Amino acid sequence: MKEKTQVTDIDRSLYDFRYEEDESDFLEGGITPSIIEEISKEKNDPEWMREFRLNSLEIYNKTPMVNWGASIDGLDVDNIVTYIRPKTRMNKDWDSVPDNIKETFERLGIPQAERESLAGVGAQYDSELVYHNVREEVAKSGVVYTDLESAMHDPKYAELIRSHFMKLVPPTDHKFAALHGAVWSGGSFVYVPEGVKLDIPLQSYFRLNAKGAGQFEHTLIILEKNSYLHFIEGCSAPKYYEAGLHAGCVELYVAEGASLRYSTIENWSKNMYNLNTKRAIVEEGGKIEWVSGSFGSHVSYLYPMSILNGRGASAEFTGITFAGEGQDLDTGAKIVHNAPDTSSYMNTKSISKSGGKSTFRSAVVVNKNAVGSKSSVNCESLMLDRISRSDTVPVIDVKTDKCDVGHEAKIGRISDEAIFYLTSRGLSEEEARAMIVRGFADNVSKELPLEYAVEMNNLIGLEMHGSVG
Amino acid sequence: MENVKLNTLPVPTFSSLGVNFAEREIEISGPEHISVGANEQKQIIRYIDRESDAFTALDLNIESGADVKLVQVFERTAPLVSKLDIALGDNAKLDLVQIYIGGSDTVSEIGAKLNGRKAVFNADIAMKLDGKDKIDLNLVSEQFGKKTVSDIKLGAVLSGEARKIFKGTIDFKNGAVGAKGSEHEDALLLSEDVVSKTVPVILCAEEDVEGNHGATVGRLDERHVFYLRSRGLDEEKIYELMARSKLLQAIDKTGDEQTNSRIYKALGWGERDE
Repeated sequence: MKEKTQVTDIDRSLYDFRYEEDESDFLEGGITPSIIEEISKEKNDPEWMREFRLNSLEIYNKTPMVNWGASIDGLDVDNIVTYIRPKTRMNKDWDSVPDNIKETFERLGIPQAERESLAGVGAQYDSELVYHNVREEVAKSGVVYTDLESAMHDPKYAELIRSHFMKLVPPTDHKFAALHGAVWSGGSFVYVPEGVKLDIPLQSYFRLNAKGAGQFEHTLIILEKNSYLHFIEGCSAPKYYEAGLHAGCVELYVAEGASLRYSTIENWSKNMYNLNTKRAIVEEGGKIEWVSGSFGSHVSYLYPMSILNGRGASAEFTGITFAGEGQDLDTGAKIVHNAPDTSSYMNTKSISKSGGKSTFRSAVVVNKNAVGSKSSVNCESLMLDRISRSDTVPVIDVKTDKCDVGHEAKIGRISDEAIFYLTSRGLSEEEARAMIVRGFADNVSKELPLEYAVEMNNLIGLEMHGSVG
Repeated sequence: MENVKLNTLPVPTFSSLGVNFAEREIEISGPEHISVGANEQKQIIRYIDRESDAFTALDLNIESGADVKLVQVFERTAPLVSKLDIALGDNAKLDLVQIYIGGSDTVSEIGAKLNGRKAVFNADIAMKLDGKDKIDLNLVSEQFGKKTVSDIKLGAVLSGEARKIFKGTIDFKNGAVGAKGSEHEDALLLSEDVVSKTVPVILCAEEDVEGNHGATVGRLDERHVFYLRSRGLDEEKIYELMARSKLLQAIDKTGDEQTNSRIYKALGWGERDE
């Protein structure tokens, strides 16, 4: 088994292995009321959820495709398999997970990470969670970490889920939010009670193995007053020639004085369309921190949004995007200041190479009631060759005078002087360029848990391989 | 009259922000053409005021080595659509100065094509909006030529219920080796009812370029206000001085006494040397 933290020369085979699926487990491709009914029946939905799905389908059919951003012409949603029946029930015992699924996650280092450094872990394989476990002492503190479907059927949490599910990201938000509402499956539910601070993180890992399929997991996290959580999300899929779709949804509720750090390393294969929606609402004195690394997918639309809804709430977004050959990664963040004395800080880096295209897109909205608010945005882009592309499209929308909003952006290349200096110190040009890019990404890797920082540096090394000439 | 889509953002963004384009009912007429020959020097001054048409268009072609200053002063209080198209040849230079004083509903579009090697485009823009003034300004600088330079600066002062959208795009085309582009907006907001939207875009299809943009929006830094108060100035005077300073960096670039006097008068600042 490969140990992620010690891989020095990572290659994509770590992610590109796959197992043949039994296609009799696939529901028919496309999105019709009968498919939705079938998903709902398979999942034993409560009646409100069945109606919610059908209503979302109606919204999906009425909503036009987005008319901005990266091209998604290669995505034929009518041919995407939206649900794959699981080979197993959700397990709390790793040994009960079927062998091929177990081997998949072992190769990705998930159970090992759980043993070493996590308070709990969830693993989703195609459409369903196959494993979920949380340390005993964490469970005793009242923290709930389970799959969303189980929680929805548990009388203790059913009402909580009903009152929060897709309230932050309603199906009317955009076409793929409506699609998600109709076909969602899997994902995690986390509840942290008042005053509980988890010192070690929880992690969910999403793996899409089937070809031509979609993954639509829903992550719902509720932090009560003065609590703390670090949640880590990882994603990968093997490479196929058919397009795959990831249209997940993340809803984060951060109560007064609570603090949530949400870290993601996204390394979908380069045939994936990653059209994910993430949103947090933060109440008085609360804090949301996003740490986001986007390396995979063919096309990405990813703009985590923070709604600062209580006095003194704050948001931080730290992100890096690395667009290589054949990739069009449209990433960024949105922040809405909707209460007095709120603050936000956005710091992003993007790298384009080998014909890849990266677009940084952001919106900072300061509403009239957000008096005394402050916001600072800083984005830097690095172009590694002249066949790539890097665009920066920020918007600052201010509706009050009593605020302080700043924005800075830079675009440039690696200077010849820096390369010359490093090569004079004995590095090859390729090593020198990789070192400079790693340094450029340093502010993001510093924010990641160690094993993820190592993985990110390895990914940069891999992407930079052959970058000279 | 026809419904025309104007001020289109070269790369559209989130539709809900309402910055991707503007639409107006206008009667379009042909542009005024000005061509400045090779190595010529020229200063052009245009006043767009109550006497002007609701649609104005200028097509400015600046040939190799020519050095041009274009000053446009907008004082029109009725709705206006203004278009300015610029083409610059090798070593050609344009210093554009635009001063917007009010504007009930102004849509202004500036498109500069830096086609020639080492072409230079400097834009200094000042905007003073009050009451229900409304401006949508879209500036796109496309840098095709090698070692071209564009430098865009906007100073804006908004009070009352004024609404401003400023979209500034620096577009480095593939082949613009050694090009540089810089853009900065400084917006001072003086009323809780103003709306200020800023969209500083950089598009880049060339490795060997340097681009940067920056924006500061809001009230004055409390530390600056504190310092000036400690020097005996009251808050009203401090804001008046700061508002002047935001606008003067463009006004001082007109290089024409008569124009400056007219601008001072329109801004209620009295005589130039006061």
